[in-house]
Amino acid sequence: MSKYLTSLIALLSLSVVAVAQQSVVQESHTLATLAAEKSEAEPGSTVWIALKHEPKEGWHTYWKNPGDSGIQTIINWSLSDGSTIGETLYPVPHPLPFGPLTNYGYDAPSILLTPITIPSEYQAPTYPVKASIEWLICEVECIPQFGEFSFDIQIGENTISAENRSIFTEARTKMPEPAFWDASLSIAPEAAELVVYMDAEETSDLSDAYFFPDQEGILDYAAPQTFRISEDGLVLSLTRLKGSVAPEAISGILKLTIGDHVTAVEVDPERHIVESISNTSDAPIIHASSLPLWQAALFALIGGLILNLMPCVFPVLSLKAFSFLSAGGLSKSERRQEGWSYTFGILASFGAVVGVLLLLRAGGSAVGWGFQLQEPMFVAFMIFVMVLVSLSLAGMFNIQTGFEGAGQALASQSGNKGAFFTGVLATLVATPCTAPFMAPALGYALSQPFYVALTVFFMLGFGLALPFLVLSYSETVARAMPRPGAWMEKFKKGLAFPMLATAAWLLWVFSNSAGSFAMLLLMLALITIVFAIWLWQQSDGKVVRVLSPLIGLLAVVAFVTQIETMPAPSGENAPEGFANTAVYSNATLDGLLNDDKPVFAYFTADWCITCKVNERVALYREETIDMFDKAGITVLKGDYTNQDAEIAGVLSKYGRAGVPLYLYFPAGSKEAVVLPEVLTVGLLADTIDG
Amino acid sequence: MQKLVTILILAVFISFAGYANGVEVGAPAPDFTAVDTKGNPVTLSSLRGKPVILEWSNHGCPYVKKHYNSGNMQRTQAALTEDGAIWLTIISSAEGKQGYVTGAEADELSASRGSYASNVLLDPKGEVGRLYNARTTPQMFLIDEEGIVQYQGAIDNRPSANPKSLDGATNYVLAAWDSFKSGEAIAERNTKPYGCSVKYAD
Repeated sequence: MSKYLTSLIALLSLSVVAVAQQSVVQESHTLATLAAEKSEAEPGSTVWIALKHEPKEGWHTYWKNPGDSGIQTIINWSLSDGSTIGETLYPVPHPLPFGPLTNYGYDAPSILLTPITIPSEYQAPTYPVKASIEWLICEVECIPQFGEFSFDIQIGENTISAENRSIFTEARTKMPEPAFWDASLSIAPEAAELVVYMDAEETSDLSDAYFFPDQEGILDYAAPQTFRISEDGLVLSLTRLKGSVAPEAISGILKLTIGDHVTAVEVDPERHIVESISNTSDAPIIHASSLPLWQAALFALIGGLILNLMPCVFPVLSLKAFSFLSAGGLSKSERRQEGWSYTFGILASFGAVVGVLLLLRAGGSAVGWGFQLQEPMFVAFMIFVMVLVSLSLAGMFNIQTGFEGAGQALASQSGNKGAFFTGVLATLVATPCTAPFMAPALGYALSQPFYVALTVFFMLGFGLALPFLVLSYSETVARAMPRPGAWMEKFKKGLAFPMLATAAWLLWVFSNSAGSFAMLLLMLALITIVFAIWLWQQSDGKVVRVLSPLIGLLAVVAFVTQIETMPAPSGENAPEGFANTAVYSNATLDGLLNDDKPVFAYFTADWCITCKVNERVALYREETIDMFDKAGITVLKGDYTNQDAEIAGVLSKYGRAGVPLYLYFPAGSKEAVVLPEVLTVGLLADTIDG
Repeated sequence: MQKLVTILILAVFISFAGYANGVEVGAPAPDFTAVDTKGNPVTLSSLRGKPVILEWSNHGCPYVKKHYNSGNMQRTQAALTEDGAIWLTIISSAEGKQGYVTGAEADELSASRGSYASNVLLDPKGEVGRLYNARTTPQMFLIDEEGIVQYQGAIDNRPSANPKSLDGATNYVLAAWDSFKSGEAIAERNTKPYGCSVKYAD
């Protein structure tokens, strides 16, 4: 019996030797193998141990940082006392997207390597390697798998195991290369930027780059990583999750595609915590694919032409046209010269406006078209201009007295200088009139590089100048104009009324942004100035000639000093009439959208005529209110009458530079339907019915 | 014009895709309303005045099973709810995915597991989950009486499905709760959650 037992033990030990340096566990979804690189090892030497996972088709295991979910492999070694266990090395992982989440792992066989050092005083003939290993394997659902592994390594001379050689060769080809580039990682609250200092030759054929961070908190695994090449080398833009905590030390694997060759290198970037990352490649993403330049330029040209018909511009334009018609003695070239002077006047003013806008934009201000009208002092100035121009048109004072509104005085001068300033005046009075055609072109322009913005504004100005330029060039058009006569004087007086109407509207804008008391002061100042002009006309006497400008000046100074010290009213109020309303804020909108509520958000300003017209003819109509209330829509109003960075942000998000903007979020949708700039009740009904 | 519309829609999509969800420890918890197993709406902000624990769960997930089958989750729930906290278990599994349950099934599950959760919320559209950027089951959030997030992350420091891993594990939620109650600083306020991915709709 004992002999039998002995032979059985001998047989068993023989079989152990035969399968030595390897232990295999077949689990339901994985074939797992633990293997040693050496079949025989000296005490004190290091032996690499490989753990190979062969997952079932379609299933995957995880990297040491598993990404959004999952678990790194856990190896619990049971080794003889005095053994040292090194860090487990993982091969280069793949991003594994899953719905809104992304994991890092292996959807193919993977091999992990761990170095183990046998104690130098180790005496037994064999060195047992035992490990209890837990790994997670997932397809969509996850199955944690467990395995008990054990094999012996013979103690003797260091000998590489022939049987296991291929496992280790394969393992090493899939490991990342050790770090050889310096790198730095800037971490801002919601973004990060990895800079890898590569030279131009190294980056020349680079077609893709991806960073796998070892630590949690560096980046949003599911967010795309975008790279660009800068003077420093490779720059990788990363998105971070709100509230994530930056780790103390940073390391990871950088996967690069150079030509058709993929390589992976470890990186240990220096860590920098920063306030924000000026992401030059991020901002134009929305706009880069926007309107092509020619189309924006065409829109601008058409918008400029339409501006000519606006009630605030038309009278000024007619003034110039009259001077043309009555000045019958002008030669062809003189006419052309005047036409061009007028055009240059417009272009110069547009140049000034775009310059200011771009300057403000460069300074970081969120400004949009019509921003001038957010400044009550500018509105007040416009009211003065409008009233004085209309009084001049109405004939209260004539050109010879030499005391009028500056623009009008210069504009009424004949000749090139006069034509130039008529252009300036036309631009000045045209600024509030954001025609539907202009908004996309201007929105595009303001989000583009300098030269594009300039082109679009140039085309807009050219469109404004075009009718007059045509008149100055074409004999046929000039002949088609009515003959000069007494009717001109009557017509001119009649044109005072659209100008006064414009002034009335501006006065309303002013009262909304500065308050009703400020409006009273403004009207008193206006009356005083008109009185001063009247006084001037009464006598040539010295007293009157000194007194009247003084009164005018005093009125202006008193008004300006009073207004400057007055606080602006907030002017924010929820729209009336609807059952569910609120003042727009990003937080309110997010809250409603998260509750699956349908939302109609509109952005308006008192100085925006298009907005006010839309509100009267479509939005505030009883049938619209009924329809909205029945559909349970919450109406959010964003008031852009005064500067508001949050609304400016929304406008730029939708590629607009100004109001109006109408957004409809159907119930359960976080994506807005952007409505056109001209609303009708029918259009609103169609939008809500989907 | 059609192109313009396409571009605008694209711009809207991109801007929303880039919008960062997620929760900041020390900042107000995002408000939400979700229905419980009986179809009643539950709004987070209406619970102001009491501490709230959010637990993302999926009963089919082995990591959730580890904590429920061992009684660890129930013990944690009991400890906190006895102290007056509101415990909300949230299920964000989409219909047809692992862990999706109807209200009745959820109630049955609570009864069979002996859950001490104050309420179970159903979030099959994954809206609350995405708002909180819940990534794994289990994943925990501790929100104080003022609605400020005090802890977010894993339930403990043992990312394993092995029930033995519970021996000597540090329960981050209990630890945070104890420190918070006694007015001490919470040692671990933001940890990496571990477990199965939340089974959101694709």
